[in-house]
Amino acid sequence: MTEFLQTLILGLLVGGVYALLASGLTLIFGVMRVINIAHGAFLILAAFITWSLWTATDIDPLLLIVATTPAMFAFGWVLYVTTVRHVRGAHISASVLLTFALALVVEGLMGIIWGNTSHSLRPSYGNQSFALGELFIPKAQVYGFLVAAGVLLVLWVILARTWLGRAIRASSVNPQGAALVGVNVSAVAAMTFAVGVAAAGAGGAIIGTLYPFLPGSHYQWIARVLSIIVLGGLGSLPGAALGALLLGVAEAFAADWEPKWATAVPYVVIFIVLLLRPQGLLGARLREDVAAT
Amino acid sequence: MSAVRSHPSRILVALASLALLAYPLLSDDLYYQNMIILSLVFAIGAVGLNVISGYGGYISLGQGAFLGLGAYTLAILSTRAESVSVWVWVPLAGVVAGLFAALLGVIAMRTRGPSFVIMTIAFLFLLQIVATNWVNLTNGTAGLTLPLPEWSVEYQNWPFYYGLAGLLALSLLVSWRIRRTKFGMGLVAMREDEDKAGTVGVNTPVYKLLGFVASAVFVGMAGAIYGYYLAFVDPLGMFNILLSVQILLSMLLGGRGTLFGPVLGAFIIEPLNEFTNNELGGGNARLLVFGGLMALVVLFLPRGIIPTLRDRIAERRARGRAGLVGARLELRERDVPPRPEPTGRTLLEVKGLEKRFGGLRAVDGASFSVPEGSITALIGPNGSGKTTVFNLIGGTMAADAGEVWFDGERIDGKRSWEHAHAGLGRTFQITRLFREMTVLENVVAPLRAFRWGQLNADGVSGSEAERGEELLDFVGMKRFRDQQAGALSYGQQKLVELAQVLMLDPRLIMLDEPAGGINPTLIERMGDMIRELNAAGKTFLIVEHNMPFVLALCDPVLVLARGKTIASGHPQEVQRDPKVLDAYLGDDFIYEEPVEVEA
Repeated sequence: MTEFLQTLILGLLVGGVYALLASGLTLIFGVMRVINIAHGAFLILAAFITWSLWTATDIDPLLLIVATTPAMFAFGWVLYVTTVRHVRGAHISASVLLTFALALVVEGLMGIIWGNTSHSLRPSYGNQSFALGELFIPKAQVYGFLVAAGVLLVLWVILARTWLGRAIRASSVNPQGAALVGVNVSAVAAMTFAVGVAAAGAGGAIIGTLYPFLPGSHYQWIARVLSIIVLGGLGSLPGAALGALLLGVAEAFAADWEPKWATAVPYVVIFIVLLLRPQGLLGARLREDVAAT
Repeated sequence: MSAVRSHPSRILVALASLALLAYPLLSDDLYYQNMIILSLVFAIGAVGLNVISGYGGYISLGQGAFLGLGAYTLAILSTRAESVSVWVWVPLAGVVAGLFAALLGVIAMRTRGPSFVIMTIAFLFLLQIVATNWVNLTNGTAGLTLPLPEWSVEYQNWPFYYGLAGLLALSLLVSWRIRRTKFGMGLVAMREDEDKAGTVGVNTPVYKLLGFVASAVFVGMAGAIYGYYLAFVDPLGMFNILLSVQILLSMLLGGRGTLFGPVLGAFIIEPLNEFTNNELGGGNARLLVFGGLMALVVLFLPRGIIPTLRDRIAERRARGRAGLVGARLELRERDVPPRPEPTGRTLLEVKGLEKRFGGLRAVDGASFSVPEGSITALIGPNGSGKTTVFNLIGGTMAADAGEVWFDGERIDGKRSWEHAHAGLGRTFQITRLFREMTVLENVVAPLRAFRWGQLNADGVSGSEAERGEELLDFVGMKRFRDQQAGALSYGQQKLVELAQVLMLDPRLIMLDEPAGGINPTLIERMGDMIRELNAAGKTFLIVEHNMPFVLALCDPVLVLARGKTIASGHPQEVQRDPKVLDAYLGDDFIYEEPVEVEA
């Protein structure tokens, strides 16, 4: 029972972090119908930037998101304006191919800058745990979860309470309609892409403290976040949060049962969801005459 | 000489094939032989990928997985059955790749664009994990070492070389054939507009499944030879995503949807790969080169080398000649036949149809019937649910409640192509032709039934071309038969779409705003054509806002408001119906309560 509870709690804590990682991806898909295959590479890039800042300043890596998040926001904005802008509204294959190409370039650049060796962020509390009766919860997991939850809360407030958030949601539901009522959909798309990449920036700092990483790790992370948004429903933010918690728990139990197959969980989830419920748990089927135009 | 001038590309292909076949006999430089062998592997991979991605429009990021599957099939079997010739396993590797593709295709049948891409990535990585973890079968990360070739050293790598060249020829032949069959035309229709393809009778899930299998079989065989050639397989090498990247890039660079584009691309990409490995140190440089090249191709050469060159040449040839697009329609005066006597039977019956979008009831219990032999109009104010009713009847959208009966058979819940096969054709409010196809191809694309044998039939058979031309003649578009549909004006597209629907020989033709957005002469002509078809026995259901057009043409007229049928009858009766006047003009309907829609 203790072991079960321990695994469950760890799974939920990791799932909370996953929710942040997937939020940017699903947000970008929702607004511009772009599957950003480079999202995993952006996560790892943020982890490396955090690593450089951390080795230079010795500030706690989780606090460094104050620097990495704006840096990644700017990076995302520049990328959108220079490249992604050209494929918004194009056939889905164009955006998939372009973002996949970006992922390869970012992976190559990270290899050149930081080398193809495993890195990790080790805060002072890296080996400590909170003891709750018989349960031992690593401090890094708890802090990571709290920071992720905090960033997600900020994201939610932006989406639900600000003009930008309303513009993002409007553009997501009906770009033509949004444009007609005076929303500059193209500027909103740039903003959304940058916000999505910024969320990856915060997420990258957190996963860097929880797991070792190298430039090639991005495939594993993109697979994980893709499986989360497929499970939750493409474009749905609450769906991504739900999918993330479920995947976190599923992975935790799989690792408990047979560690070497735990890495297969995201892929198996993708196949099961596409077979049984292609629209995902909370994905809505849009009306076609609107969605098609 | 004239052959050279009229088919310069054929001469080029023949010369290139000759050079390819002669090379090992003329030179024993193993460095270049190796480069050509690897180019052949990627060319076969890209030609296969072209079937599902180039023709069918579904991009796969996991095409390399089929190479890996083939290589592993050969490695596993040849290390266990040492007495059998290794070549025996090559065709079997193709079968294994095909089976995996079929399995994946069953899942893919229900997915659309983004999900399909995600699935192909997941497939590749899952296979890599299985190859790593199933140590008993694959020897895990340590990999499998294959038996060495059994032929004399004198022959160098000729068996690999010519085996792959033969396989490439075979896969090109199949790709060429597919493009010319109903199967290939269905794939292209799916690429251009999957929903529309369904409404003209193309059973898209089956096409998708078969397209995926066709894209895998030869690649599995090539993978087997590839593994044998390398003499070693391991999970990281065989299920490396960069293999998929090279295949994908070959297809994109050469030109997707063309026959030889993928081959051209492969013979550019593989030498580039060797160059980056030898001169730039591989690794990160390879990522930068391939990633950078892919981004450049997507942004600046999205259609690839061959289509771009072809367009340039066509442009130069066409310079100074007047295009057909602006030519006058061949509108002839026709005698309008008398209205046929009603048969008294009901062809289409709709009972209590309902459809909600979130909190909005777009269709709220609509019930009506369409008498056989009639031209029935469905009118109503904007937002009254007319197009949604059309989508529900046509099967492109599923109803929440209610029934649709067509000729005594219940058809709601059936898929859109089954509606087309049953004899129900429709056009769209905004025309939806297959833009990259010619006008004639568009007209003969519809399928009246689904049969397996039909897949291998000629895409445009003689009798179909004849029938297609007849129909184009009927709508006055015969001179445009070889134009690209995407180049036509809106009004012309409407006419072609009508001819396309007629190819189905439907008993009920549903037209969504046939007179919308076209000039008055054409509107008149449209009305005449509808009357003529009606006299020949076709029943019509028409959504239209042009009231003079409707009132002159249609009887009965059905009025829809707020998703319900509020009136029906002769045009004169409906015109005077107070409920109808209220629906169109009443302030009650102009200032509706805004409906809350969840984001």
